[in-house]
Amino acid sequence: MLSRLGYTLRETWASFRRNMTLTVAAIITSAVSLLIFGLTMLMQRGFDNLLVQWEGDVEMIVYVNAGASDEQRAEITNALSAQTQLVEDYSYCPAECSLAEAHTLLAGDPGTLELLDASNIPTQYKVVPTDATDVDTLRQLRDSLSGLPNVQSIVLADEQLDVIAKLKGFVGLYTLILSITLLFAAILLIWNTIRTAMFARRREIEVMKLVGATDWFIRVPFMLEGLIQGFIGGVIACGGLWLINNRWTAGVSDFPPNSGFAALVVNDGYTGVVMLIIVGIGMVAGAIGSGIAASRFLDV
Amino acid sequence: MIRLENVTKTYGMSVVALRDASFDVPKGEFVFLVGPSGSGKSTLLRLLNRQDRPEEGAVWVAGRNIVDLPPGRVPQLRRNIGNVFQDFKLLSNKTVFENIAFAQEVIGKPKHVIRQQVPAVLDLVGLAGKEARFPHQLSGGEQQRVSIARAFVNRPLILLADEPTGNLDPTTGEGIMRLLDRINKTGTTVLMATHDQRIVNTMRKRVIQLDRGVIVRDQARGVYE
Repeated sequence: MLSRLGYTLRETWASFRRNMTLTVAAIITSAVSLLIFGLTMLMQRGFDNLLVQWEGDVEMIVYVNAGASDEQRAEITNALSAQTQLVEDYSYCPAECSLAEAHTLLAGDPGTLELLDASNIPTQYKVVPTDATDVDTLRQLRDSLSGLPNVQSIVLADEQLDVIAKLKGFVGLYTLILSITLLFAAILLIWNTIRTAMFARRREIEVMKLVGATDWFIRVPFMLEGLIQGFIGGVIACGGLWLINNRWTAGVSDFPPNSGFAALVVNDGYTGVVMLIIVGIGMVAGAIGSGIAASRFLDV
Repeated sequence: MIRLENVTKTYGMSVVALRDASFDVPKGEFVFLVGPSGSGKSTLLRLLNRQDRPEEGAVWVAGRNIVDLPPGRVPQLRRNIGNVFQDFKLLSNKTVFENIAFAQEVIGKPKHVIRQQVPAVLDLVGLAGKEARFPHQLSGGEQQRVSIARAFVNRPLILLADEPTGNLDPTTGEGIMRLLDRINKTGTTVLMATHDQRIVNTMRKRVIQLDRGVIVRDQARGVYE
């Protein structure tokens, strides 16, 4: 068993050196495709952060000043409850809830975040309308509510949300297509590398088959080679992802406040998850690509 | 040990490599396959180690019909068969020792067994002391001895030799034949395809003659023609 492992590793390393150019090409292609795939995931996450306050079909948010009294809030509640025709549901998001949301929305803007605390952050009413497409009625509702005391502002989804949602769908779809195409190219390149490696060693493979080596014995070093190529590609992609994400996060914090980009950063553990995913995809794709290439060569 | 029953093998639509071939080789026998180029000698050897499959008939090797042997069992079959070729098929980037050890490595023999058996077989083929040479540093006869050592190191039941002396001068060829004879005397069944009249006439072993895919002669203690 140990000599077999030694054999496998030796063969893999020898094959690696023999096909340096092709190997490097395969690694770079897989790295770029995995990087784009990783960036797609991070972008999606950024957009999700941006949309966090609109979760659950919320179409209208009423911001209430921090200093509002209980009576003033009751007035807003009554006004919303009265509109049974228009308002299907509404919920109140007190200071702690608003603060938690702000941490996501202003993740890229630590300066502003620092100024906010439970005593000064506006609280929110999140309103789910009966008919979200009836924008005119929603605007009327907004106008009737905005006159109430201590209502800071009222935001409608169709003025903010729709643009972001469309952008998210567009960016997400096309980067995903791009990364899958590139990943496919990477698999083809790895496949071709392995085919070349096997062609260079066809005599050896013929001898192996004739003395009774099993197909798996011959295939495993080649699959390991593809797997390592995918792994290196994945690790390089992780490095690129980390660098880009870091530069972006640093750049966003220098943007002027209220530029709308503050939520478009990912600075939590999600980046690590994405890295694990892309390394995993790289390894699996490499092993499968080379496994297929090897199998086609083994019909001696 | 080997039995062919009405074996027919064609390549494509029209080329008939073997037609209705039948014969029986008991354990330990030495058989020459003779006939002009393209008469079906190599095809016959390829059928025996399942590099090819016939359209019709049965091929029995060591008590098994190997025509419908599942692919997963083919390696096991080949471990019982040694192969020697006209062009040696040695791996040029490996030393003599490594070339022979390779045949044991790929079937998972442990290192200490390899270290013990390779020198023994090198001694048998008369190449003791040349373990560290590379194939290009050896003469043709020596290279063929390495290839025979590789074919024999796993003690196969059967040795298939396809024109093993075809690339060698007569004297060197005789040395190879003495070696194959010695291996045969250990109980290994030997099938050898050859053009070499002198060798066949000197050895006086069983001769199976092929002509355009048909067995035209099967003679004990035969001569070339």
